[in-house]
Parts: sequence; C-alpha cells; structure tokens
Amino acid sequence: MEKLKKKIGSFSFWNWVIASIIFRLILIYFPKNLNLSSRPEVSTPLTSFRRLAEGYWLKQSSMSSYAGSMYHGSPLLLSLLGPLTVKRIEGQPNHLLYSLVSVIADVVSAMLIRATGQNLRLAYLRSLESLDLVKQIDVSEFLFSGDIAALIYLCNPFTIVACVGLSTSPIENMAVILCLYGACSRLIPLAAFGWVIATHLSLYPAILIIPVIFLLGCGPDSPPRKLFLQRHQQKEVLNQSKLPPGFSWGPIIHFAFWAFLWSVYVLVLCGISLKQFGGLWEMFKSTYGFILTVEDLSPNIGVLWYFFAEVFEFFRNFFLIVFHVNILFMILPLAIRLRHRPCYLAFVYVAICSMLKSYPSVGDSALYLGLLGWFVNELADMQFSLFLFCGYVGVSLLSPVMHNLWIWRGTGNANFYFTTAMVYACLQIVLVVEGVSAVLNHDRKLRILITGKPQDAKS
Amino acid sequence: MANTLSLYRTVKRLGIPDERIILMLADDMACNTRNKYPAQVFNNENHRLNLYGDNVEVDYRGYEVTVENFLRVLTGRHETAVPRSKRLLSDEGSHILLYMTGHGGDEFLKFQDSEELQSHDLADAVKQMKEKHRFKELLIMVDTCQAATLFNQFQSPGVLAIGSSMKGENSYSHHLDSDVGVSVVDRFTYYTLAFFERLNIYDNASLSSLFSSYNPSLLMSTAYYRKDLYKRRLEEVPVTNFFGSVMETIHTDAAYKALSRRNSGRFEDEMSLDQSVHHIERRMLIKVNDGDEIHDINPELLQGEEGACKCPWSTFRNKFQKAENVDSLVNYGLVAMIPLLVISTWLVQ
Repeated sequence: MEKLKKKIGSFSFWNWVIASIIFRLILIYFPKNLNLSSRPEVSTPLTSFRRLAEGYWLKQSSMSSYAGSMYHGSPLLLSLLGPLTVKRIEGQPNHLLYSLVSVIADVVSAMLIRATGQNLRLAYLRSLESLDLVKQIDVSEFLFSGDIAALIYLCNPFTIVACVGLSTSPIENMAVILCLYGACSRLIPLAAFGWVIATHLSLYPAILIIPVIFLLGCGPDSPPRKLFLQRHQQKEVLNQSKLPPGFSWGPIIHFAFWAFLWSVYVLVLCGISLKQFGGLWEMFKSTYGFILTVEDLSPNIGVLWYFFAEVFEFFRNFFLIVFHVNILFMILPLAIRLRHRPCYLAFVYVAICSMLKSYPSVGDSALYLGLLGWFVNELADMQFSLFLFCGYVGVSLLSPVMHNLWIWRGTGNANFYFTTAMVYACLQIVLVVEGVSAVLNHDRKLRILITGKPQDAKS
Repeated sequence: MANTLSLYRTVKRLGIPDERIILMLADDMACNTRNKYPAQVFNNENHRLNLYGDNVEVDYRGYEVTVENFLRVLTGRHETAVPRSKRLLSDEGSHILLYMTGHGGDEFLKFQDSEELQSHDLADAVKQMKEKHRFKELLIMVDTCQAATLFNQFQSPGVLAIGSSMKGENSYSHHLDSDVGVSVVDRFTYYTLAFFERLNIYDNASLSSLFSSYNPSLLMSTAYYRKDLYKRRLEEVPVTNFFGSVMETIHTDAAYKALSRRNSGRFEDEMSLDQSVHHIERRMLIKVNDGDEIHDINPELLQGEEGACKCPWSTFRNKFQKAENVDSLVNYGLVAMIPLLVISTWLVQ
C-alpha cells in the first residue's frame, strides 16, 4: 500500500517538475522576458542582469569591471555568465541561453532539496524508532518532505519570477542548497565548496557555517539528546548504539581544510582575473564593501533603503553597524536553542538574512520558502499559517501596484511602497517566530509522549 | 547671418559633421521682434530655404561672440570649464576652413558693433596655432569690405586666404528682399554658394576652379587670394580639402577585430625588469597549485637577457602578459573546479 502511494506520489512529482519547467520556458519566450528584469523586487544592484552585462562589456573593453559602480558581483561569475549575455541566436528570444542556465540551476536546486529532504525524513524516522515512539506517532501519515520542498521551490511564483527575470539569485540559491546537501549527506568537499561559493557570491551565507558545523558534528535534525537519555533511563537499557552519536570534531577539521582549499582556489582565480585592475582588494571593496556600506539606495522590498534615504542620514556609520549587528546578534541564541536541529537552524538563518540583508529580492524569499518545505511534518501545528499565506499573496500583489503608483503615475510617494515593504518584513518575522515556536512545541510534544506527563512550558 | 548659415549648410552637406564645426553667430536676426518671419532666416528672396530650420548647432551666440572668444578658439587657450563642443580640437594634420563675414575695413573686422579684430591680431593667432601644431592647412575666407587687407600680416606657412574685395573696394550685397526689408545675401558668398550648389561630394573640383569662378564684374569687386604661404598647387587641391569631408576607404576582405587588449600587453612589455620578475614568481606559485612541477628557474638568467626572444622563459612571459591568456586561464580554472569537486567528493566518500 505504501509502495503504491509512493509510486503515485513520485509520478505526480515528476509531472509537477516538468510542468514547472515548461511554464518557465513559456514565460521565457514572452517578449523581453515580460520586463521582469527591470522590476525592483526581482533585480537588485547585486543580482541584476543588466549590471552583469555591463560588467562583462567593461571587462571586454579592457577596463575594470567594477568601474562606474555598476557591477558588484564576483569576477568568476563574469567569466562564466558574461559571454551568455551577448550571445544571440537567430529567431530565439534574447538571453535565451542565460535563461536556460537559470532554469537548469533551479532544477538542480530542486533535486538537491529533494535529496536532502529524503535524508532528513529518514533521519527523523530513525530517531523516532530509537525513541520507540513509532507506535504512538502515525508514521504513515508523514508527508514526503523532500518532494514537497522541491515542489514548493520549483512552483513558487517567487522562484519562477526570479528565474525568468534573469537575476543571479537561482545560482546563489543553488550554492546554498549545495552546501546544505553536502553537509546533510556528509560529503565534506561538496559542503565546503558550496559554502565557499555561496559566501563568495553574496556575503550572507557565511553564517551558515554554524549549521554546517552542527550538521557535520552531530548529524541531521533529530529531537534533543536529552530525550534519548530520558528514554533509555526509562527502559533501563544503556544501549549505546541506539543513542545518536555525540559531537565529533573530526569532520569539522576535515571541513575546515576543504573550505580553506576551496577559498584559496577561488581567491587565486579572482586575483588572476583582476590582476590589472587593482587585485583582490578592489574586489572586496566593490562586492563586500558595497553590501556592507549600502551605497545604493534604490527601492527594493527590503527596509534599509528607506531608512538611509529618509531617516538615518546622520550617524550613518552607527546605523550601518546597528543593522548588520541585527543579524549577527540573533545567531548565537538561535544556535544554542536549536543546536539539535541544524537544518532548521539553517532555514531560520536564511530567512533572517533574506529579510535583513542590504538588498533583498524575491529570489532570496524563494530560497527559504523552499527550505520551509523540509519541515512540513514538524510545522504541522504552526499557527497563523493561513494569515501568512494570504499576507504573502497580498504583498506580492500590492507591492508592484504601489511601486507603479509612486514611480510611474506620480500619485503616490515612497511611503506607499515602503508600507508594503514593512508589511512584508512583518510577515517574515511572524513566519520565523511562529516557525521556531512550532518546532519547539513539537519537541515538547515528543518529550510529553516519552515522559508521559506534561512538564511546565519552560524547557 | 544668412551668409554664415548658408555656408554652414553647404559645408554640412559636403560631409563635415557638427562636432567639427564651430559656429559663431551674433544671432540677433532670427528672433528679432522686427523679423516678419520669426525664427526663419532666408538667403534668397524666393524664401525657398529656411536656413535657421532644424539641425543648426550654434556654438557661440549673442554676447559670446567677442574677439577674445574668437582668439581663444583659434589658439585653444580656454578656461577649464569650457565644454568640448566650444573648443577647436584640431591637431597637426587638420585642414581648417575659417569663414568670416560682416562689416570690415582696412585691416580690421568689426565684431558686434563694439569691437574690432585687427589683422595683426589674427596673424598672431594663426602664428600661435602653427607653433602649437593646431593645423596643417588653413583656408581663410573673408566677405567684408576691403577684406583682402585682413590677411596682410600673415607669415605662417600653410595658410591660404581669399577675400571678397581689395583695399579701397566695398563688397556689395546681392539683392534686397523687399518682403523682409534687408538684403539677404552678399555677392561673394552668393557666387561661392552657387559654385558649391553645382557640386556634390564626389566631384573633384579644385580650389583654382573655385577661385577663378569669381567674376569681378558680377561681384562688383575684385576677389583677391593670397597663395604665397601655401605650398601646394591650387589645381591639385580639391575643394573638399577644406569645404567637405571625404574619407578615403580601403577595402579589405579580412574581418574587423574588436578592440582587443593587446595594447595593455604592449604596455606591460615596457615594464621595469623587477616587476616582470615578480610576475614570474607569481606564475610559479599558480603553476604549483595546479600541480605542475617547474624545475631550474633562473631569474638571474632573465635579468641578463632583457627582451631577448631566444630565451623560452621570456617568450612565455610575454605570452602570459597578454590579456587573452589571463581570461582563458581563469576559464580553465573555473572548468577545472567541477572535476576537482567530483573527484574529491568521490574519493572522500
């Protein structure tokens, strides 16, 4: 019965995948990619396709690709994707090759998400078995979190828009997912490669080192170690083999070595390609420096542009530090609280970064919404899910309208657009907070099932 | 004003673009309140052609037309804020046509009813231009009374000058437009334009045919030209030398390569030797990372052989300094990342 359900499930999974690919291809064949690449929600100064083409042209004219503060990405991306920006095939839409690269990146990310999800699900089942809770929890009702997460990622309108809008988000997302997949499957060179590339392309995935360390040290998501000890105290069997392994440092050192190797390789390649134009320091100033100092204040769905344009022009450095520390100070408490669930920690970090980064776009949201799918079983009891869903739909419809009112018709002003950006940030905050409390409630429920009596809420 | 505008149109028709023309007009006619046809300037009483229509780019107008600005344009001594469109950006190979018209007299030309440009000032400016290598050949055409006196003082080689009348003679206007109430074109300019109307871009009419087309009885003055400073024979010089812009095209079958970075490579070849040694060291480091082994590197050997192409290392160094190799190296590095990743993952598993 389960095999049949699995076969039906996997059949319609591939159907959905092919349907989403066909849908993307149809949208690509619309004239000028539906002008999606000029929308501020899709293309930011970091991910914009137009800037990539400009950087490539500057490079071909023997000038530094960072001249004129147009392009702010990695020089390796220029070498890789630059020729695709100029190649034209007769009779096909412009930038067909680049769109195909984005589609392929999306599909690869979806496959990796699926594999990681399957990994997580198996780990969860194994931990339930070792906790002897298999009879109490109906395991057959468990959804295939890998398939669901992959489908959420592929069929999410945000992902489709980011892919068709020719931004570089699909590639950045692919690097992040590669890193998490490698860490979950204990493929250390792959995880190190993904982490180095993701940090190189955009600065923020650097904080994913903490979930990766936990993943490599302890293994994928599992209930807290305390529960295992309690269960075996109850059974009075100290069967060490059923306990999850403790934290081991060997893989971490291995990971550090590979990360060092890959970062040296990447930096050397960048140094060679920028030899004549100021070298690595110029690259760091134009990419990381640009991200950290928020030089470009064009509107996007984030909140920083408005703050620095209208409110916080004085004491700019102080507020820059405040906004960046806003992300940093949440790292440690979350790491302490969620150390037994590293993949969920990674999801929360990605969500916080997508919300508080200097230039957010819908491509970043697409990433964490896809990762949300891994935890459909744990988050089954999340509150406000309908409210959040409707909120997301509402904001994604209203935000372009407000932008149009402000810029094109002139009947609105910046506050209209910023309102939708603030609502979007609030929705993301509610999502993160409710998600974390739902997961902790799930752990609490497991503990209740084991100990048999409810404890007080603090744990 | 109609004189200048007519010649401006002719010169543009024969191929000189606006960026190569500096037009100085007192510009008080077209939008004058007494002009019956506002914003329109005609050079013929049949009003066939509106000279002030579209595509007229005036660089100096109104109060900017002064002797000082004129001399600044000629000599190139501008304030730093003057835009490029108002500068004469010529070099030592340029052929310059200078056409002046208005009221003038014995060795002077009147500017804006308040100033005058004297012939020795003009000669001085031209001498400065020659010193600064701002022209190769200069044709000065003046249509005023006693125009030929204006270039009495010239001494610089390469200058050809023609004036509409000699000392003691007046230059006359061609006809009066009774509708507008003023004369609309002068005779000298009228016959010059008539000569050019018969011409198109591909004709080979020479300067001597232009100069001999002036009939003193029709002009009611003697058009005098001064060619002692001009070394070439007037029969061989086509009018498009000054009045038009005809480029010589050479047909090749090879494809046109876009601007490559070979210039930077050439520049790097002239680097000092210690820098080039540094390059070799860096290249050694890269090679070691890629797994190659390099033996018997001898930097002292290179210091002894500056630019000797026999040494294999210097040819390799030269090839490496070309930008295309940097690009392909980066591409190879990127492509090599993938098999490295696959192999390392498979090995560690």
